[in-house]
Amino acid sequence: MIAELLNTLHSNIVMGMAQAAGAITLCAAVVLLCRRFAVHVERETAISLGRGLVQMVFVGMVLAVLLHGNLLVGVLILLGMTFAAAVTASRRARDIKDSLLLSFYAIAAGSGVVIAAMLATGTLTADIAVLVPVGSMIIANAMNACAQSIERFRADVAAHVGQIEAGLALGADPDATVAPYVQSAVYASLLPRLDMLKSLGLVWIPGVMAGMMVSGASPVYAGIYQFIIVAMILAASGIAGLVVTLLMRMRAFSPASQLTLRPGERQQGPDRLAKRMPSPA
Amino acid sequence: MSAVTVTRSTGSIGDAESSEATWRPSRGLEPQAIAIETEHLSRTIVDRVLVSDITVQVQPGEVLAVVGPSGAGKSSLLRLLNRLDEPTGGTVRLKGQDYRELAPRELRRRVGMVMQMAYLFPGTVAANIAFGPWQCGEGLAAEQIDALLQRVGLPGYQERDVSNLSGGEAQRVSVARTLANVPEALLLDEPTSALDDVSARGIEDLVLTINRERRMTCVIVTHNTAQAHRIADRTMILQAGKLVAIGPTKEVLRDR
Repeated sequence: MIAELLNTLHSNIVMGMAQAAGAITLCAAVVLLCRRFAVHVERETAISLGRGLVQMVFVGMVLAVLLHGNLLVGVLILLGMTFAAAVTASRRARDIKDSLLLSFYAIAAGSGVVIAAMLATGTLTADIAVLVPVGSMIIANAMNACAQSIERFRADVAAHVGQIEAGLALGADPDATVAPYVQSAVYASLLPRLDMLKSLGLVWIPGVMAGMMVSGASPVYAGIYQFIIVAMILAASGIAGLVVTLLMRMRAFSPASQLTLRPGERQQGPDRLAKRMPSPA
Repeated sequence: MSAVTVTRSTGSIGDAESSEATWRPSRGLEPQAIAIETEHLSRTIVDRVLVSDITVQVQPGEVLAVVGPSGAGKSSLLRLLNRLDEPTGGTVRLKGQDYRELAPRELRRRVGMVMQMAYLFPGTVAANIAFGPWQCGEGLAAEQIDALLQRVGLPGYQERDVSNLSGGEAQRVSVARTLANVPEALLLDEPTSALDDVSARGIEDLVLTINRERRMTCVIVTHNTAQAHRIADRTMILQAGKLVAIGPTKEVLRDR
């Protein structure tokens, strides 16, 4: 396997490095052009280009090894990606208790259901070389949907604390007091994906279709397959957005139906207080 | 808008239309006024004391004013009475029963709260008034909504969109919305602080009328001592979350 990897690297490395040098030259020309207008990004661009090249070569080498693994390796890679996605999405909700876990559940539910459905219907093969790239696209979109839902729900609740507490003070079911904000949060997670579907083929031809066509697949089949991928991305995003919003709704109230998701307050406070309360007896 | 005027000394209602518009709860039962007792009630958040060891008894049918400077813990105390916040010490008793033995939603229907801002829900006035009963699976007949609106001096406002109401009108709708739950006690958190003098006096008169008609226990937070003089039987003064004085309003506020 290692020998095969070295052969692959050897045959492509010269051409790849030459192409990379060409790309770097073009970037350098743009930097020089910027400099003429007193926009100084020389150092930052040099560092970014250097880091980007080294990182991508490293990732390529790791993937070259991993892509020869079995389905279990593929699942582990996808799980690792899901965890990394959860870490990124949960940064939007640092003040919410267990936000990392909530994000992980949501992204895993969205991408897990969709990837399992694609495997079950044969849309996706268990070949790690296909599973990982397609899975990563689905996970990345589920992550974005999750982050968008978190952001929207938090912002809406923060903007309507008075109305929510007015509802609670009238004896309303806590879920009913935030129902409009649950709807808008889930909608916010779906909207970019819906727009993506609408503009598919008209505004952009996504990477999967382009890649399939480059490798000689029928353009019609490539188009249909790309549609399936984008539709699955919509489904994964919808599930991730819905799950994270419902989990956040559960965390938004204490067991005594008090709003704990308040602007400027870390969430563990009221929960901790509620636990500290002595029993009525 | 018809003005509802009540003289504190006699409790007489100056507007005949208002007196006829007395609202009766759908169940046909007038709620009994309840006593509210706090026992060493406290709330501290991250070493910041909001309410400290407050023990008071509010008698059935009494109007108790809570006064004090900004940040004294007046609103925090009221939120604890409605259990919108959780005490970190002590408890509240309603008719002698620890309020933690009640489901929070039932407690909040029994002890209604009117907030500083009206916080009406988007939609019509009628939908806002019907919200509380609807949340516990009860309908509110159009006549009952009419009667409630008459009671708060807004006859014919059923189909008005709440976005078209003035501050005073919105606060009256907020009072009607709370009364629709047939509460046994009413908590009012500076309900007139955002209103002009005329609207504020209208709300004061309304509170007094309701208190007289239904002998409803009321706790009102105010920073306005003149308002406390006008409507409260007793007044308690809070400072830095602590109770510093309580007694008949005239005595407690004599030098203030």
